[in-house]
Amino acid sequence: MRQAGSYSGILMSGKTGPHLLPLARIKKIMKKSGDGVKMISGESPIVFSKACEMFIGELTQRSWMVTMQGKRRTLNKEDVASAVMATDLFDFLLNLVSEDTFKSS
Amino acid sequence: MVDEQERLLPIANVGRIMKQILPPSAKVSKEAKQTMQECATEFISFVTGEASDKCRKENRKTVNGDDICWALGALGFDNHADAIVRYLHKFRVAERDKAAQNKASCSRNSQDKEEEESSQDQQPHQQADVPSNSKLQVLEFSH
Repeated sequence: MRQAGSYSGILMSGKTGPHLLPLARIKKIMKKSGDGVKMISGESPIVFSKACEMFIGELTQRSWMVTMQGKRRTLNKEDVASAVMATDLFDFLLNLVSEDTFKSS
Repeated sequence: MVDEQERLLPIANVGRIMKQILPPSAKVSKEAKQTMQECATEFISFVTGEASDKCRKENRKTVNGDDICWALGALGFDNHADAIVRYLHKFRVAERDKAAQNKASCSRNSQDKEEEESSQDQQPHQQADVPSNSKLQVLEFSH
């Protein structure tokens, strides 16, 4: 049974469930994302709550694979950076993770 | 420092979501959680920007859930998540079946239930681990 994609089908699945992320904070972040963002419908933060959960899950899984390749049991920030660099979809995060790496050193 | 934290998703929530995905014995450094906080926050900005552009082009003032869903698909998140979501789904279905079986056997025999729980606990974990191993090969090519 193929619906819209796992991310884009969030609204249709109706399974937004209990929220793991605070909706007010999500709304605040959305408003700060650009000048063009003026009004946000009530359901948008709810969709993001689910989408972020999935995004964090995916990035975490990929980072953990790097951790395992290094035969370690502690996921560190370099593992996250590696996962970002290895995944085209996460290109929008490249500046962010390389900044992070500079900050500590 | 307070301002800094308010522009990001809360680290406790982010950490909790990470723990849900990882095996119970896994540990996550504080810096990794902070990085994930930043990444998830950037994810929201990135997708919202795309959704907001669409609204502007269509002369609409309000960004709604459909716009967000559209932007997620347009930016490529669907294709990527499919495989991972399928595995997670299998895991959750297994959990649900287990819970349903427990409920059913509750009405019959509580002793049997305990035995079922301990043996079924093994299976979902194995299912979650197997996909990770196959994904390992996908990551290697970039190095």
